[in-house]
Amino acid sequence: MGLKDYLYDIWEAVATTAKGMRITARYGVDPRETITLQYPEERWEPSERFRGFLYNDIKTCTSCTMCVRVCPVDCISLESVRGADKKMVLASYDIDIGRCMYCGLCVEVCPPKSLKHTSGYEKASVDRGELILHFIHEDAGEIKARVAKQVAEAAAKAEAEKAEDGEPDSRAAQKDAPPSAQPAAPADAAGNPEDGGAAEKKPGEEKE
Amino acid sequence: MMESLAISLVNAVPVLSGVPLWTITLLVMVMVAAVVLTFALTYSGLATYVERKVAGDIQARVGPNRVGPVGILQFLADGIKLLLKEDIIPAKADRFLFVLAPYLVFIGSFAAFVVVPFGVGLIASDLNIGIYYLMAITSLVVVGVMLAGWSSNNKWALLGGMRAAAQIVSYEIPVGMALLPAVLIAGSLSLQDIVRSQGGLFGIFGWNLFHNPFTFLSFFLYYVAALAETNRTPFDIPEAESELVSGYHVEYSGIRFAFFFLAEYGDMFVVSALATACFLGGWHVPFLDAEALPALWGNLLSLGVFLGKTLSLVVLMMWIRWTLPRLRVDQLMRMAWKYLVPLTFVNLLGVSLWLLLFHGEGIPRMIASLFG
Repeated sequence: MGLKDYLYDIWEAVATTAKGMRITARYGVDPRETITLQYPEERWEPSERFRGFLYNDIKTCTSCTMCVRVCPVDCISLESVRGADKKMVLASYDIDIGRCMYCGLCVEVCPPKSLKHTSGYEKASVDRGELILHFIHEDAGEIKARVAKQVAEAAAKAEAEKAEDGEPDSRAAQKDAPPSAQPAAPADAAGNPEDGGAAEKKPGEEKE
Repeated sequence: MMESLAISLVNAVPVLSGVPLWTITLLVMVMVAAVVLTFALTYSGLATYVERKVAGDIQARVGPNRVGPVGILQFLADGIKLLLKEDIIPAKADRFLFVLAPYLVFIGSFAAFVVVPFGVGLIASDLNIGIYYLMAITSLVVVGVMLAGWSSNNKWALLGGMRAAAQIVSYEIPVGMALLPAVLIAGSLSLQDIVRSQGGLFGIFGWNLFHNPFTFLSFFLYYVAALAETNRTPFDIPEAESELVSGYHVEYSGIRFAFFFLAEYGDMFVVSALATACFLGGWHVPFLDAEALPALWGNLLSLGVFLGKTLSLVVLMMWIRWTLPRLRVDQLMRMAWKYLVPLTFVNLLGVSLWLLLFHGEGIPRMIASLFG
């Protein structure tokens, strides 16, 4: 190594250090360079297409189970029974948000567009069970029992009408039967938005 | 100085005249030591806070801002945390050396405060071999660091300790060589004498920094070498988080770790204080003659000026730390032996020749004499 290289090395060390220190000084002095967001006090606005927690609007949900089938990590579970009006009644709809990988396939596939991503992303818990989102707060067994009772009542009524009207009218009577059964039906049909009685009671649907 | 303080104390309080003088001198010594220790600890605590703030600013972050106004009490929270932490000694460690090491490191850095000239009369002990003593006592840090590395019985700690030994021993040579010009100019090893030799000329142009081109260079050589001696980035290979976890103190926790931590910041202060005293005019107040002022004002002003200069150098160290990446081991050794040692030698020769040729006159003084 010649003297020229030696001196050049020293010069380079000094020059590059000075250059670096000028840059850090600029960052250090300029308050606008601070980009930290004081998180709990202020938050970023999530983007419009942000995939946060899933939310299912169970009033429009048709229990088609498409979301359950498409989910790659099997985090959605759904139970439903056929109601007195031949439409499916949701008994339970749970999403294990701790398992969900936010791929968005279930939202894409949902026919009535009842399943949606929200902008929520804050959920810390000490228990994994708390990470399961329940969209129907009533006990699934109770709903099933009630729907079964309604179905039985409707069938009994239809049977009675059939007996009154006689053989020829039986088909028409059967068609009339479900609507006439409605007033007696409590909240359980809520999963069916077309039903007038649905508004009587809204099952819990608060998202957390 | 302690005895004169003790005598003036006895004169001021007649009740004490019956007590033997040595007890009072001892008492005064303990009190002065307590004051200096308190200062050292408060400074170290605040320095950790400033370091984190500087790091935050440079990295476009905020830094600590939760404890107290703008996070200023963060160091108290950290200190309490360290005090309350479990003190772990590894099962296969050499217990005696493991316990001894942090004290050696801390003593090495704290004992150096004894000769730091804080002001006109503010020096714990104005030893006539001040610089010599300082170089010697800070070498104790190497022993502590090596003991820590060895006694931890951990490969990372051992590697860190060996690296630290190689580094600190190597860099002590350029540090000493770079300080010699100031000694040559003052003709004394006492730090107060060195500071006094830089008086006059508005309290700025008397500085050794401006004495001649060689002393100007000498300051920067000293600063770089001293940076390496304190194991600070970019010369922090003994700690090297990304290679050695944290080097020689990897097995230490709680209060023992705090000792290493405080020693590092204490070292930073001592090194900066030495640079201030030897090159930046020490406690000389610009445009005023601190020694001619009334004792109280002279001491207060000179203390303020000295601390201002020293702490600026400490902040400069932090700035460098958050700018430059770490050197490799071989690069570090190359820098010491191939660049700093020859340069400081040449520098020392240059200063000696200058003093011989110009009869100890510096450039500013020559210019001043030209204009009368």
